[in-house]
Amino acid sequence: MSTGFEQAYCRVGIDVGGTFTDFVLADQRTGAILRFKEPSVPDDPSLSVERGLPQLLALANVEPRDIALIVHGTTIGLNATIQRRGVKLGMVVSKGNRGILEIARSQMPSAFDFIAPREEALVPRDLVLEVSARAAHDGTILSPVCDAELDQLAESFRAAEVEAVTVVLMHSFAHPQLEAEVVAGLRQRMPGISIAASSIVWPEKREYERAIIALLNSYTQPLMESYFDRLDHRISNLGITAPIYITANNGGILSLETARERPIDTILSGPASGVVAAANVAALTGIDQLITVDVGGTSADMALVHGSHPANTTRAQIGDFPLVLPVIGVTAIGAGGGSVVWVDKHGLLKVGPQSAGAYPGPICYGRGGTEPTITDCYLVAGLLDAERFLGGRINLDLGLARKTLEEIGRRLKFTGDNVAEQAAEAAIRVAAAVMATEMGRELAHRGDDARDYSLLAFGGAGPTHANLVADEAMMGTVVVPGLPATFCALGAILADVKRDYVASNQVEVSDQSAARLTEIFTELTGKARDWIAGEGEFLSEITYEHILDMRYRGQGFDLQVKLPEDLQAALDPAALTALFHACHDENYGYRDGESDVIVMAQRVRVVGKMPALTQARLAGEGELPTPIAQRRVFHDGRFIDAPVFDRADFTGGQSFAGPAIVEQGDTTIWILPQWACTVDHWGNLLIRRGEASVSP
Amino acid sequence: MQLDPVTLEIISRKLIALTDEIYFTVQRTARSSYVNEVADFAVALLDTNGDVFAYPPSASFNFLIDTNFKTAIEAVPDLEPGDVIITNDPYTSGGLSTHLPDVHLIQPYFHEGRIVGYGWSFIHSLDFGGNVPGSVSAASHEIFQEGFRIPPMKLRKGDALNEELLSLIRLNTRVPDVTIADFKAMMGALETGNRRYGDVIERFGVDTVLQAQVDLLNYTAARARDVLRRIPDGVYDFWDYLDDDVVTNIPLRVRLRMEVKDGQVLLDLTGTDPETQSAFNVPSLGRRMYWLSFRLTGIITTFDPDIPRNAGLYRGISVRNQPGSVFDARPPIAVGLRHSAPYRLFDCVTGAVLQANPEIMSAAMGGSMATFRFTEKMPDDTLRVEVVEPLRSGMGALDGRDGVDARDNSINNMRNRPLELVEMEQGLRVLRYDINPDSGGAGKYRGGVGQSLTVELTGENGGDIQISGLERSRMAPWGYAGGKSGALVSAVINEGRPDERPVPKGMPVRLKRGDTVTLRMPGGGGIGNPMERDPAAVETDVRRGFVSAEAARAVYGVVISDGAVDADATAQLRSTAQEQADELFSFGTQRLAWESVFPDEVMLDINRRLYALPRARRHDVRKEIFYSALPALREGTKIPLDQLISDPSEARARLAEALDRLLPAHAPA
Repeated sequence: MSTGFEQAYCRVGIDVGGTFTDFVLADQRTGAILRFKEPSVPDDPSLSVERGLPQLLALANVEPRDIALIVHGTTIGLNATIQRRGVKLGMVVSKGNRGILEIARSQMPSAFDFIAPREEALVPRDLVLEVSARAAHDGTILSPVCDAELDQLAESFRAAEVEAVTVVLMHSFAHPQLEAEVVAGLRQRMPGISIAASSIVWPEKREYERAIIALLNSYTQPLMESYFDRLDHRISNLGITAPIYITANNGGILSLETARERPIDTILSGPASGVVAAANVAALTGIDQLITVDVGGTSADMALVHGSHPANTTRAQIGDFPLVLPVIGVTAIGAGGGSVVWVDKHGLLKVGPQSAGAYPGPICYGRGGTEPTITDCYLVAGLLDAERFLGGRINLDLGLARKTLEEIGRRLKFTGDNVAEQAAEAAIRVAAAVMATEMGRELAHRGDDARDYSLLAFGGAGPTHANLVADEAMMGTVVVPGLPATFCALGAILADVKRDYVASNQVEVSDQSAARLTEIFTELTGKARDWIAGEGEFLSEITYEHILDMRYRGQGFDLQVKLPEDLQAALDPAALTALFHACHDENYGYRDGESDVIVMAQRVRVVGKMPALTQARLAGEGELPTPIAQRRVFHDGRFIDAPVFDRADFTGGQSFAGPAIVEQGDTTIWILPQWACTVDHWGNLLIRRGEASVSP
Repeated sequence: MQLDPVTLEIISRKLIALTDEIYFTVQRTARSSYVNEVADFAVALLDTNGDVFAYPPSASFNFLIDTNFKTAIEAVPDLEPGDVIITNDPYTSGGLSTHLPDVHLIQPYFHEGRIVGYGWSFIHSLDFGGNVPGSVSAASHEIFQEGFRIPPMKLRKGDALNEELLSLIRLNTRVPDVTIADFKAMMGALETGNRRYGDVIERFGVDTVLQAQVDLLNYTAARARDVLRRIPDGVYDFWDYLDDDVVTNIPLRVRLRMEVKDGQVLLDLTGTDPETQSAFNVPSLGRRMYWLSFRLTGIITTFDPDIPRNAGLYRGISVRNQPGSVFDARPPIAVGLRHSAPYRLFDCVTGAVLQANPEIMSAAMGGSMATFRFTEKMPDDTLRVEVVEPLRSGMGALDGRDGVDARDNSINNMRNRPLELVEMEQGLRVLRYDINPDSGGAGKYRGGVGQSLTVELTGENGGDIQISGLERSRMAPWGYAGGKSGALVSAVINEGRPDERPVPKGMPVRLKRGDTVTLRMPGGGGIGNPMERDPAAVETDVRRGFVSAEAARAVYGVVISDGAVDADATAQLRSTAQEQADELFSFGTQRLAWESVFPDEVMLDINRRLYALPRARRHDVRKEIFYSALPALREGTKIPLDQLISDPSEARARLAEALDRLLPAHAPA
């Protein structure tokens, strides 16, 4: 399968973004990590991979045979879903259920807008066909599969030339036999057409949500398969024989084979990889409660890291659809570098939601942009240097940006000499407030407070804005990792192989429950074991996490409870009940000692550890480098002088006080007055509220 | 505006996010499925005057912003830090609560010894006592039948819960544990709000925050008025009907005159029918309030989605109520189904705005939001009260686009329940949950179709069903500019069997194992002549089952053969189609028949005379007048009004006679 980790010593992570495809190469002998950016090719992202890889190898001075592993993240499935470019699907449902995709969960996208339309069904109702085969919730077969009916279904689907069929029958999550029979019957009748059962793809209760997972898997599969084939082909043509892995929604990675079969597991992986890299920083630094903020051109995304693990959610959204798979919870929190700054007709300063996008982009790019953006504000306020932006690759037009922001300032009735700078600072403050308040909202879903977290910033604009956001959110610490602008590509090679399994059996916690739950877990673990055996021979350690979805009797929702490692002890009814009470108390602030406890679902997560990545430590204890420049930054209504450091000059262990600016090729870090920065041994900047400390 | 525009924007953002935090905290910690599955609850921050100044964007409805909190706050004068006010009583809370299951909590927020705002939260409780599980029955006529009433009082005094009150509540609800757990969730959330509000005050200073309360309302008022200016100045009349009020068989008319001047809107309800002896009355206590203004709220937030939502929305809106009308309930009349008549007022505002500016308005929404409750005895002898599904109509067509099928956010945007959970948790099997074909009003742009549901009772003991909101059984959701009306609602027990019978609206019915209940929801009204609809769109509708082939031919003049449009046959059929009548609205046959006897001017005259009578006599006299004009109504028949009114001139004569006899025009009251 590969040349093995012994001979080949480099791992390559590749993350495809809208504008750039990011590469990182980790050299296992030295611990050095190199980065490279190649413009993306939206029509065929594998082309930018093919173009970029040789340059990366040349930069690192390594041969194709030195590559041990390639991990790749793609948003092809996501884009295909959002733009509705998937295949023509047919769907089979239980009798009476043909309206499932029309009704969905019966909600409109907004409660407050009666003009906005709802989503178009993923499968039009004429291609949603009914079978009379029906199970009751307890598994009783009310009506068996009928051959003549299947003949008819196959005929209809053939006539409509559907490219794939998904079968979603009532209660199949617990009683999959009928679904399996229908799938088998249709496969016989429709050779060459892919037929999928919802209970195989993701056997969770709630027919609409289960249907969407299975449908999206079928919908994106042919597209993803052909992309993966192209990618595989292009990479082998470069003489690279290393195995290719694909990043997954849950922060793990999957072999190319699994990704071909289950593209749904990779569909939201784009932003997840950065959070994996953040979890690695958390583990290295011991700062293990993190809010991560990834600020790109058009938006900012946030996620959480708890105890060095990315926080999962089972309530994600993909385009118009709910996704109940366990995924790393990433939420958009508004403004990005390209967000437009404007004044409404009643005189209030607004940032976004419109964005200048990648093209024409900010005014200062000089590509015809006419609306001032946050990036223009950074420039006018002095946070960016017109000549050195992105390592000098783009020369920014300060005059143009200044002129437009002056106009904004006038409309805000600012006076004095620095109207443009005042407007720029005001907009930066508003953007920080938007991000901070949106963060607070998201945390409220969990009952958390931002002050209990540190902020880790990545993406091109994240480090520029991070200190302002942390200040606004009353947080005490900001972490800027070494490679913030290629953080997702780094996260890809830090990830382990990971997959989730679910069973939805209702089990009342009682004297009999331990045996039943053991039986279910044994079955799930068996599936997981069989699968991971084929995911690569170099996985060093296989572990299984056991999770139960539990609730009090009569409660309208479940709580996911992770079981301790000693499974048998954990499943003891008294221990399990006590564990649930404690979790409920921790999450919701109360417990109900009187109530029966019911298990609603069982989950297993299997993790196959990748061999650890060698990460270099900085020498440390060096002198504070000489600033490469001094810059005037407009802050708090006046110009202040800030030294500018080149990040490459830091050798670890240094401390200095804000105001200060740190520049690196692909981003700029702004450190506020009253805050201080320490460079740790892993190359992270730790920016803390308060004066500079003497020791790191 | 007093604050600088940057500070105001930042504070506004913070306050709005803060209300979302309170909202999520309730959602996360409450126990009842009303909160967790369907989100029938709300929260807000109130200013020192007791008006909403920040409201959560995540809420599933927004019109509650137009609520009078002041009466409840003033009723508890000796407020201290930590206190929480509770009330569910419409009459003593000044209309804060509008029916008894809605339990409201208000916590004063203090800063250095003075009140600087209030947190508010309410939850629709599963049950708050009264004559039926769920506490809402159409047949109730006094509020005493509807449940346990709590005037504004303290639920918590400082740190101490009012245990005496809690023990009373425990005894008076069918689901005490869940109810009390929900109160605790609300209190916890309000306290979260208190802390967060304290953070904002600490950050910006109390004077700035108090000034922001004023500025934000002014800002919203200015933006709201900009939206309402899209309605041209003028006077617009419209009326619509509840099919009946349960205790009589007489349609109940809502009469609106909307007067618009430069973005200021007066909703004049003069001429609306009197209060009912059933639970359809709205406890507005004569004021403007959310059940009267909510269509206008929706118009403002549709055309200005980012507007900060606060009491400033309503500065340009006023209401002239008809004293004694269904919109002016006074103690002790029943109010449980207080949302039904406002839904028709919603349609009246829709019709009025359509006349004024058709570009910003749709044809009638399906107009029915049925809540299907099922109560069954559990093995341990406890009662389980649960909503099976909230059922939706289709939405009205817009000029240029079809109405939305099988969903409707007119009143709220609650989620449904997955069928697998319905079957797992209740003694029910779902035989069908689908669209209701041919229910969308035909038109060049078709009205959205409604939903349909059939369930079978499978539990050994059967159970009680109760379906509220079954409106549009006679008076169809109307179409506009040549568009047709949507289908009527229908709710039937044991459809197709010998014992088939209709479900009475809003009242519990005991059913046994094996019985079925079938609901078919109305569709929205269409816009434009259906003969002008693109035949390809009709073909798609037929293929997908939204329109039957028969309707395609009969209503749209489109001939479908072998699944495709037969262009020649279609052209021929359409060329022989009759010229459309030149009516602006198509109201459906039953309303036309009804108005052939009771047109607007006659109804206004009847009501002028009725309102001259003492309140206590109006109901009986009104009944006598309508039953005299149409004797067949008296027997409670549900045969369609156009069949019932076979000879309008005869009915008009009987009406004139009855009016002379019972309500002579110039007789002393």
